[in-house]
Amino acid sequence: MNLSESGQSRVNGYLFVLERSLKTFLPIEVVRDAVREIESHLGERIAASDGSPNEREALERILLELGPPLHVARAYSAERIVDEAIATERVVPMLRAVWHLAVTTLIGFGAALGILIGYLVGLSFLALAILKPVFPSNVGVWVRTGHESLRTEFPWRLGALFPIPANEHVVGGYWVIPICLFLGLLVLVVNHRATVKFLHWWKGRASS
Amino acid sequence: MSRDTWIEQLRRGGLDLAILLAVANGPRYGLAIIQHLEAFTDLVVGEGTIYPILGRLTKEGLLDANWVEDEAPHPRKYYRLTKTGRARLREMKADWRAFAEKIDRLIAASTDAEGERR
Repeated sequence: MNLSESGQSRVNGYLFVLERSLKTFLPIEVVRDAVREIESHLGERIAASDGSPNEREALERILLELGPPLHVARAYSAERIVDEAIATERVVPMLRAVWHLAVTTLIGFGAALGILIGYLVGLSFLALAILKPVFPSNVGVWVRTGHESLRTEFPWRLGALFPIPANEHVVGGYWVIPICLFLGLLVLVVNHRATVKFLHWWKGRASS
Repeated sequence: MSRDTWIEQLRRGGLDLAILLAVANGPRYGLAIIQHLEAFTDLVVGEGTIYPILGRLTKEGLLDANWVEDEAPHPRKYYRLTKTGRARLREMKADWRAFAEKIDRLIAASTDAEGERR
């Protein structure tokens, strides 16, 4: 089948959308190679087609068998970025994968927001544990002066305050360090496992 | 888990092996690999999902790819097994056979037990 001008425009449009989607997460030389390969695939399929019942329907059938361009791009992202993150389970590839999903999909954005908050909470606990020996009077559990008992005094808050508020002071002493270390590491590990689970789920969804 | 999900997981699990087998006897380009898989299996559900897997297998060093310009009206990207790929394929075939054999044994055992109950 030889394509008419409108048929060729349809193919060009497909390749354009695919290229734009791939460019968001793959290096340009990889994108060029991938698009060239898909273009070659389409060329072979079109040349082998007898164009029945008409060019438009035959072409749509070929494009349907290949899959929508965003679906193909999603399969590339699952195989490249998400796969690397799952295989290595290292923080940087995982953050790269989550960032890619966040900027390309709504579900990814929601998940990335949750994951980001999780990492920030974990790191905040660790930061408190590190800051406590440096600023012992500024870091810890804060209560209002004259209400030292945590049982009777609520609300209290955990954190670092600079300068020290006039009517508050820290209690709990250096126990804050092991508690914050434990909580920080716990939150980071749980968050990390949750991120791996999310990426596994995403990969399964993208490859199907 | 629904049956569809289970079949999908089986399909996905076998696809890497199937692709490596498709190029085991010599280099093939993308569409030829898809046609080979379609001729023997129903593993290809979307043609566009095969190319990213080919890309990953190439990145992992199991396949080697090169463009051939003058063979057809369109340039073709041929994939061939590397030495690492051939060794991995041998392992994957052995793993697959061992796995299938164990499941077959389980099926046979459960069929025998079912027969005894009747």
